[in-house]
Amino acid sequence: MEQKAIYDLLAGHLGEHAIAWHEGEIEPWAEIAPEGINPACVFLRDDQRLDFNQLMCLSGIDWDGFDEAGKGKSLGILGYTDEGAPEASDRVAEGDFGVVYHLYSHGQRHKFTLRVRVARSVAAVPTVSEVWPTAAWHEREAWDLVGITFTGHADLRRMLLEESWEGHPLRKDYVMPASWEGVPMDGRPYAVNPFPATEPEPKGDSTPPAEA
Amino acid sequence: MSTGELKKGGWADQDHVPGIKSELLELNMGPQHPATHGVLRLLLKTDGEIVYQVTPVLGYLHRCAEKIAEGVNYKQWVVYTDRFDYLAPMCCNHAYVTAVEKLMEVEVPRRAEHLRVVTAELSRIASHLIALATFGLDMGAWTPLLYCFREREEILNLLERISGGRMLYNYMVPGGVRYDVPNDGWVESVLEFITMLENKKIKDYNDLLTYNKIFIERTADVGVIDEATAKAYGCTGPVLRGSGVKFDCRRDDSYSIYDKFDFEIPVGMGEQGTVGDCWDRYIVRVREIEQSCRIIRQALESLPDGSVQAIDLIKPVKVPVGAAYSRTESAKGELGHYIISDGGQTAFRNKVRSPSFCNLQVVEKVGVGQMVSDLVALVGSLDIVLGEIDR
Amino acid sequence: MTIVYEALAKIGFMFALIMGMVVVLIWMERKGAAYIQDRTGPNRAAILGVRLAGLVHPVADVFKLLFKEDVTPTNRHRALYNLAPWLVMTVALSTYAVIPFGDFLTVAGRRIPLVVADLDVGMLYILAVASLGTYGVVLAGWAANNKFTFLGGLRATAQMISYEINMGLALLGLMLVFGSLRVTDITAGQGALLWGFIPMWGVVVQPLGFLLFITTVYAETNRNPFDLPEGESEIVAGYHLEYSSMKFALFFMAEYAHMVIGAALISTLYFGGYQVPWLPRPALESHAGLLLTGTLIFTLVMSLLIAFAFLRRASRERGKFQDARDREPGLGAGLWLIIGLAAAAGLTRQPWAVGSAGAEVFASLAQVGVFLFKLVFFAWLFIWVRWTLPRFRYDQLMNLGWKVMLPLGVANLLVTALVMAVV
Repeated sequence: MEQKAIYDLLAGHLGEHAIAWHEGEIEPWAEIAPEGINPACVFLRDDQRLDFNQLMCLSGIDWDGFDEAGKGKSLGILGYTDEGAPEASDRVAEGDFGVVYHLYSHGQRHKFTLRVRVARSVAAVPTVSEVWPTAAWHEREAWDLVGITFTGHADLRRMLLEESWEGHPLRKDYVMPASWEGVPMDGRPYAVNPFPATEPEPKGDSTPPAEA
Repeated sequence: MSTGELKKGGWADQDHVPGIKSELLELNMGPQHPATHGVLRLLLKTDGEIVYQVTPVLGYLHRCAEKIAEGVNYKQWVVYTDRFDYLAPMCCNHAYVTAVEKLMEVEVPRRAEHLRVVTAELSRIASHLIALATFGLDMGAWTPLLYCFREREEILNLLERISGGRMLYNYMVPGGVRYDVPNDGWVESVLEFITMLENKKIKDYNDLLTYNKIFIERTADVGVIDEATAKAYGCTGPVLRGSGVKFDCRRDDSYSIYDKFDFEIPVGMGEQGTVGDCWDRYIVRVREIEQSCRIIRQALESLPDGSVQAIDLIKPVKVPVGAAYSRTESAKGELGHYIISDGGQTAFRNKVRSPSFCNLQVVEKVGVGQMVSDLVALVGSLDIVLGEIDR
Repeated sequence: MTIVYEALAKIGFMFALIMGMVVVLIWMERKGAAYIQDRTGPNRAAILGVRLAGLVHPVADVFKLLFKEDVTPTNRHRALYNLAPWLVMTVALSTYAVIPFGDFLTVAGRRIPLVVADLDVGMLYILAVASLGTYGVVLAGWAANNKFTFLGGLRATAQMISYEINMGLALLGLMLVFGSLRVTDITAGQGALLWGFIPMWGVVVQPLGFLLFITTVYAETNRNPFDLPEGESEIVAGYHLEYSSMKFALFFMAEYAHMVIGAALISTLYFGGYQVPWLPRPALESHAGLLLTGTLIFTLVMSLLIAFAFLRRASRERGKFQDARDREPGLGAGLWLIIGLAAAAGLTRQPWAVGSAGAEVFASLAQVGVFLFKLVFFAWLFIWVRWTLPRFRYDQLMNLGWKVMLPLGVANLLVTALVMAVV
């Protein structure tokens, strides 16, 4: 089915929650309000004409500092300075968070892309892990790396990082850690060699042998 | 048996012998364990040998390659894709350059496409050989491991001759491949190798392992992933096909030049037990090796002349603004890249959808109620690679 | 006192035999696995540059394990933890007491039976000692206080107890046929000929019993396809996971000692033990001259051929390594030439006219040699099976034991009893 036709069906079902349809790019996509994502996904999965039984991918995105003009002037990430100290910035992050859902139907052989945008201060999207179980881990990963809360998720723990990790690395304002649980993260050696290499003791007399 | 029975009032919470409290055994499989295929940790709750709950704990190999992608340019990041699925790095290269080229809308030279297909399929064979080998090892059969590694060594030699690397190739770049075929009879060597593999070696594996009675006992009807579960949990690749779904990105969502080749998609048919059991996933891989050989032969026999690079190899590429999800069939399943470009030399966001990550999740459901040995079989038949799961 | 010295000598011989076989088996396992798996196998460890085809590796192993740090878990049960490896090893060694390795040897007019203890109830002794072996394994699993070793110990107990019953049933048939519980009687009985031309080996009169017995022996030794208590890929290393250094070495050696027992039991009970087929002891003694001459000529020819092969290799690989390894073919040729010379020297002493005392010694040696040959063959069978088959699952093992082998064992016993009653 044509992507636009899918969107029309979806918009008819969702009403005001379907915000916009973006055509013309390589990959067209539908923008959905966060409150509408769960009904939208249930509809997309259960409607026989659509039959989206697979969630291909779920990506969390921090739109902070994105160059809307398309000139490649987006905000760079904060790394480490040449001396090894974490770079810091005074700028207050302001961009929205986004979640992108890529769907596929094995039966109908069509794809569809949904996007959701939430304000940085809210940073919460309803979960779709009840709709597709595979979303559970994708959402945990998005929570872990981007810091988007998925309300209603049964088990929203960190996925790839340790529970004690601070911050969410894929945020654009994430400051790299200088150390973590005593382990230096900035290029310093973890342990100091207690037996530093020293000059070997000269054997016997220190005078160089006379030239023969 | 479901995880629900673990809740209060389940078997383990009752005192079966008055005065003696019985409880579930917590077993830590990994991160250092012979059968977890890397640094995977499975936190098990078992009643003796029966598994009541499986909780995979990931992240021991996490490098946050997606963050690195936001700091390096598109060509530099190819080397990080090598490190995802380090058993089939060519497939990962291929997936990434396909995604970048989808945004750039660049025409890749025909010769480069052929070389990409040949190297990616060789990598797939190597990865499947490891899958067979380690799966046999999980079942206690040592000898197939060495046999499969022997053939994999040949593939590594072939890939070394064309790319210079044995495990991490960095062979493909947006717009083509780095090196043309070396003029030392590489094409003939590959044809010779796949002929040998098709005619002799696969028969060896089948005689030694596939149709071994004990092996069938251990894998048939074990770890059954039915079709609905496989789709709902986003399983792809041999896991999905083992469950009887005839779906392969190479044919059904064709990329590169796979639509020009004639090959079949093997699916699990429950020959020895139920559709979707461990044996089905295993045999799908064996048969995919044969199909990969067919693709390689066709690609090499129709290898066109010409350049292998469409754009300058040195200069960083600029990708037009846009966002696209591109999926390819890697050795483990559907490897997708979702790239958001702001028009510059660096991706704004590069999300990797790795097949092993999604395939592994099904363990939480299917692993319950089996014996520990069956869980080992299940994890082995999923053929995960931790570099890809943890990224 | 003589009898004490005799017993000590026999015990010493048996102990040396087992320990030597353990070393040889470790080598055989590694080389055999290597050839099955299309690789070279151990060939690095060397003494003065001579590698002996990898035979030096077990020696290097011993030194490595002796000097390794003995890492022990903090929460172990100290006494049982230390006891377990010794128990396993002791049990493994004790079974040999009742296995005859030859008929008899006459020394200074005394007829010495070549068995350490010729018990009336030798078969019961074998079964009893085999079941003691369970204790070592289960104690090791429990005392280390590790969940994986615990599971390994549990698996081992269940497996060994279930398979002992089948072993007993399989042996009962054999006891009925030969009418004795004494191992020497059974071995002697196998020297007879069935219908005048088939050696009355256990495997001929009890084919089903043999299959059951060999399966149970494989299960009792905890080797593939029944290596669940160790289950590398499932429970890491099972009951001996927490043992290191020499304690681990004891488990390791006990496994091979068990293999030797298994091979010895199979060859003694079902393949005639020391009996040379169609050549009972009197025939061996009366034809000693002819046989000895034949053996010497065969040795001479073979050693010359092997020495020739070594010499060809020496000339082909001259200066290949530029170190001590270059001496190997020369040394091999020299060794085999010396053996050939010894055989030639023996031939000059007119072996065809050997006296009655010499004939008796020759007969005994021939029997011991045949026994060792059978032993090594069945030990190789263990290795062959291990590197070919995958592993069973726990419940499949139990099903096989209780639902397949137990009824078959009972049926075998009944049929045997019926046949014995009729015949």
